Amino acid sequence: MRKNKTFRIKNVMEVSVTYLILIAVSIIFFFPILWLVLASFSKTGSIYDFKGFFPSAYSLDTFKKLFTDTAMYDYPSWLRNSLFVSAFSCLFSTTLVILTAYVMSRFRFKMRKPIMTTTLVLSMFPSFMGMTAVYLIMVNFGLINNLWSLVLIYSAGAPMGYLVQKGYFDTISNSIYEAAKIDGATNPVIFVRVTLPLSKPILVYTALTSFAWPWSDFILPNMLLKNRDLWTVAVGLTHIGETEFSRFAAGAIFIAVPIVTLYFALSNFLVAGVSDGAVKG
Amino acid sequence: MKKRNNMPLICSCIVMGSGQLIYKQWIKGLLYLAAFALFLYFLITVGITDITGFFTLGTVEGDAWLGIEGDDSIMMMLKGILAFIMVALFLLIYYSNIKDVLNIRKKLESGREIPSFVKSVAIFTDKKFYIVALALPVVGVLIFNVLPIIFMTLIAFTNYGGDIVPPKLVDWIGLDNFKKIFVLSDLKATFFKILGWNILWAVASTFINYFGGLLLALLLNKECVKGKTFWRAFPILAYAVPGFITLLGFKFMFSYGGPINYLITRTGANAVGFLDIDAGWKARIIGLLVNAWISVPTSMLLATGILSNMNAELYEAASIDGATKWVQFIKLTLPFVVFSTTPTLITSFVGNFNNFGVFYFLRGGLYLDGYFLASDTDLLINWLYNLSIDNNYYGIGAAISLIIFFITSVFSIGTYVNSSAFKKEDTYR
Repeated sequence: MRKNKTFRIKNVMEVSVTYLILIAVSIIFFFPILWLVLASFSKTGSIYDFKGFFPSAYSLDTFKKLFTDTAMYDYPSWLRNSLFVSAFSCLFSTTLVILTAYVMSRFRFKMRKPIMTTTLVLSMFPSFMGMTAVYLIMVNFGLINNLWSLVLIYSAGAPMGYLVQKGYFDTISNSIYEAAKIDGATNPVIFVRVTLPLSKPILVYTALTSFAWPWSDFILPNMLLKNRDLWTVAVGLTHIGETEFSRFAAGAIFIAVPIVTLYFALSNFLVAGVSDGAVKG
Repeated sequence: MKKRNNMPLICSCIVMGSGQLIYKQWIKGLLYLAAFALFLYFLITVGITDITGFFTLGTVEGDAWLGIEGDDSIMMMLKGILAFIMVALFLLIYYSNIKDVLNIRKKLESGREIPSFVKSVAIFTDKKFYIVALALPVVGVLIFNVLPIIFMTLIAFTNYGGDIVPPKLVDWIGLDNFKKIFVLSDLKATFFKILGWNILWAVASTFINYFGGLLLALLLNKECVKGKTFWRAFPILAYAVPGFITLLGFKFMFSYGGPINYLITRTGANAVGFLDIDAGWKARIIGLLVNAWISVPTSMLLATGILSNMNAELYEAASIDGATKWVQFIKLTLPFVVFSTTPTLITSFVGNFNNFGVFYFLRGGLYLDGYFLASDTDLLINWLYNLSIDNNYYGIGAAISLIIFFITSVFSIGTYVNSSAFKKEDTYR
């Protein structure tokens, strides 16, 4: 009996310690985000007016100011630029990545292994090294200060990250393709009629990740866009100073919310989708 | 014995497409012929000068005063590389041209019908679908990944940068940039100081992130924890927020007017310059912690996935044998998790080694005394940025890129090639 009792006390101790740590960890992760969210609703803009972590008065003014007071910080135009670059990059990157991944997964040809090894070696160069060169090339060809050149660079580089998508196509059983072949379908037809309908989950995943990357990238647009009116949100936000802290917070929250929502929505969608990808009757 | 007709083959070897024309393959032949003419035109008008320009990098120095339009060395190098690519492309087409003639001859000899142009295009897109599908991605990667890397590798062997930018002429200087980095006192001191911190940073941050994530996953995996999805949502939230927002947010948090300094001054103490130029280890430790905040969720998700694959019977056997939880962790969990995550461990080491964002956003653009265009928290990749983007030291910057490439590839190539994702790709077939 006594042994049982000490065991129980020990157990209660363990559970409470576990929960204490969990609560602490959750606070550590949640607090900075909460702080930013509350700051975006602060009445006075400057970080110096905060009493500690929290603003003294709340209002929606900052969000209004974000979209109306565009003299110094033209947030609506940053948002338009970001949307433009992300949407087109997403469209082109998804097409290229899916094609590459499908081919690398489905076909066996002489150049296949060399291509795979080359992409691995290429990915080992510091991403930055390529970027300085891209910058120089863009300067020399006069493609700087142009949103299309960003779209071009994002989309052209996208096929390098085909491995996740290839992993997905690897799990689609060969028998589906064999069946289509026996029915006399050519390869382009198989790709459009058989592969694409089967790859909805990975299409969504690819589209979302290739949208999120330009949406939150800072380095490339900062390098290639020197005109203020071409800035994307990521570039613009870094130029907001401490006295406009709540404006920064509001701008950050405004672009983080869609991405965060997408991530949470995506995690459910993917699990459901991938398990569907098998042969059906 | 009928003599083989070698005429079309020889013709095609000399003038691309003429063999096809002899065989009455009009469209194909004309296309090859056009490609041949275009290439010759390219070679005569610009190709040859571009290729020689690649080696000389210009001979005439421009002078605005005298009105001399000089050679632009960097453009010449770029055009030279492009000319080489054109030559390679031509050789590829030339090869396909000869193969095509041989193919037609074989078909004629065996008395089979030669397909029409439209039909052979359709056959090609079906049988060689991979070529059609990969053409665009490969060209894109060649132009925006391979060309820049080749270009930068070449720049590392020139004196481009500093005072020597067009209109001044750039020259090939062999290994001088590397010599400068390893010998010249200013650069050498900075390089080794940064390299030391960079290695320390990569080891420490990989260790913290990895075990932080593992411990968090173990904690969430405990049977007594109810509402796992709820608790897991907090780290995932942190993971989903774009990195630059997190980093800028933390910069504000630790700034002079930020909440932490407010609380410090409230207690009567002086405000602390956490990220100031002379902050030293304070800034480094903040960097480590902020990086952990960003990266622990990722490794937690990874560890959760791996832990769910563990065999529960092992633990039952161990507790029957009287092993304590601690022993179980050390002898069972840790070896299993570490074993199955070695490749990701190394990728995350490389990722941390080249972690540009953390110190760029927290305290970018600071130049400290005793460092050449860098500060004590800068990693090699930050130094590279300072040198080549902010201060135009392209040659030195490119040389540093190559050194970084060398270090990271030593760490990772072996693991990548040996990883199961690369080797066992047909497991599910």
